[in-house]
Amino acid sequence: MKDTQPENSATQTILHGNALRLGYQNGNNTFLVAENISFDLAKGQLTCLLGPNGVGKSTLLKAILGQHPPLSGEIYYQGKKLSQLSHKDLARKIAVVLTDKVTTGNLTVAQLVALGRIPHTGWLGNLRDTDISQIDASIEATHVGYLRDRRLSELSDGQLQKVMIARALAQDGEILVLDEPTAHLDLANRFEIMHLLRNIALRKNKAVLVVTHDLDIALDTADRFWLMPCGSPLVTGIPEDLVLSEQINLLLPDQHLFFSKESGKVQTLDHLEPPLVQGPDALTQWVKKAMLKRGLTLEMDMKLEVIPHPFEIRLKSGQEIFRFGSIQEFFEAESWKTE
Amino acid sequence: MKNKLTYPLLFFLGCLGCLLLFLANLGIGSVTIPFQEIVGRMLGGSFSRNTWEIILFEYRLPKALTAILAGITLSVSGLQMQTFFRNPLAGPFVLGISSGAGLGVALLVMAGSAFGWSLYAGAAGLWAVVAAATLGAILVLLLMSLTAWKVRDSMTLLIVGLMFGSAASAIVSVLAYFSEAEQLKVYTVWSMGSLGGTSGQQLHAFLIASLIGLIPVLAFIKSYNAMLMGEGYASSMGINIHRLRWAMIISTGILAGCATAFCGPIAFIGIAVPHMARLLFKTGDHRILFPAAALLGAMVLLACDAVSQLPGSAQTLPINAVTSLVGAPMVIWLILRRNFSKEF
Repeated sequence: MKDTQPENSATQTILHGNALRLGYQNGNNTFLVAENISFDLAKGQLTCLLGPNGVGKSTLLKAILGQHPPLSGEIYYQGKKLSQLSHKDLARKIAVVLTDKVTTGNLTVAQLVALGRIPHTGWLGNLRDTDISQIDASIEATHVGYLRDRRLSELSDGQLQKVMIARALAQDGEILVLDEPTAHLDLANRFEIMHLLRNIALRKNKAVLVVTHDLDIALDTADRFWLMPCGSPLVTGIPEDLVLSEQINLLLPDQHLFFSKESGKVQTLDHLEPPLVQGPDALTQWVKKAMLKRGLTLEMDMKLEVIPHPFEIRLKSGQEIFRFGSIQEFFEAESWKTE
Repeated sequence: MKNKLTYPLLFFLGCLGCLLLFLANLGIGSVTIPFQEIVGRMLGGSFSRNTWEIILFEYRLPKALTAILAGITLSVSGLQMQTFFRNPLAGPFVLGISSGAGLGVALLVMAGSAFGWSLYAGAAGLWAVVAAATLGAILVLLLMSLTAWKVRDSMTLLIVGLMFGSAASAIVSVLAYFSEAEQLKVYTVWSMGSLGGTSGQQLHAFLIASLIGLIPVLAFIKSYNAMLMGEGYASSMGINIHRLRWAMIISTGILAGCATAFCGPIAFIGIAVPHMARLLFKTGDHRILFPAAALLGAMVLLACDAVSQLPGSAQTLPINAVTSLVGAPMVIWLILRRNFSKEF
């Protein structure tokens, strides 16, 4: 196991969770959400927390934020018990982007980012030079300078999310926690946000913890995965290790789904063998994918070939050769299909 | 940051407008005192008629000062409620404070008479009404505090507050049903609000209570800014939500409770004025919004009072009717604006 140990001398653990039991206490009734949660959160890394809905990810976040202490077990911030830190100290160490929609349209972007300085300012909240330079740096790091004087009501969801990240950065904690920051965003924004978070983790040496359901993007960007399966302990590790050890399948309690090492995607177990298609991989994979989806198979004596420039699908069936200009044409032609 | 110059300008204009309204308010009534005479008197001269002296100092000046105080207290407590509950329709009375005060007065006036007491009449009567309203407001406040202690969810607190208000109103209805016409009228007149009932000592008491009620607002002004983003974010920025909730309950209890005790329930100022402040000052920053709402509240109530005097006639309208007539269209207009919820 020694050689798979990911920690080298450069990674510093900043938050350490030890055998947490999470849940709610209501009188004598205890509602247990999750148990056996142990983790190390390291600076300079992007960590993704993945798990099915209702497994207790939000409760774990609340425990990390100090808003809902665990039933038992302890979280340590650099060796100090988290529960012994004051609200204000905690706010200076951990900043968060929640799923709550901020509806205050009257604030400008600069004013919202300035709110992140609240744990650092005096009772009136007046900004000093250090506060202002921190705000400017956060706006710059998230590339939202062009939005500075816009009001929140005028922003798109993607822009708003970046601004919320800027606000969290301005809070200047060493830990940044984000609860599903890419939900409701379009594809480009999902990639952009996750790469932005990765850059922040690396460049600003922060510990970034992201709850996400985007396995694809998480695999591309995360340094560490925390898998939180139903009813079993938290599993942590380098994403690729978890794929190779097939622990990634813990996310898929459904018997019919599994994570395919070949395609890097979630697939159904009862899928058919892909048909044999000749040609460049970049082209054949899409033809195969389309055929798999439709459940189409080839007869033994058929041969399928894909030819680029111009694109052509060529089907040899015995002596006959059929040519199609697109997958749609190929599917719509009934002549070659088996009865 | 670019608005650094416009805020002082707006506040200067506001103060100027407030002063003008104050002077106009002193002049308007069943007897009209000319504007230049008032200014002359204020600068140390004397009136050309002696009756004006008495009208101004015995009646109009306390009334105008009461209007300013009530305007400030109601708007500031309304703004606190709206920000804390993140609800644009919250007001100073959503936690049942005015209903509690009303219940206190109803008990004094209507139930008292059942035992043959007439505590509300005579010179001590004014203080008795104030005391009854204060006790009623404190009772509701205590119940709300108990709830706040038990319940952690703000929306639940809001609903419970509304329920307390309804229950108090229902008890008042029962009392009203069984009471004599004379007592009913005394209660009804109280419930229509009046700025003219305070003088001398009462004004002092009102002023001191208002200043005490404003202390928690000053102490927690930064927390209200954090609350703009909702409880989750505020708490992640080190704001103790539970403590803020207590500060808000105590502050609005004192501010709105006093205004109701001295002037009766005055509707709509607490809901409409914070929105006016947001619209005019175009900011969400409570360091600007609280003074802005206070200034506008004073101005609006002075203006409403001037209107209620029906200049040129001997009749007056109840102040609560005027504020409702001004406030209801205002709130409707706000709601019909397309981006109302976004500007909130």
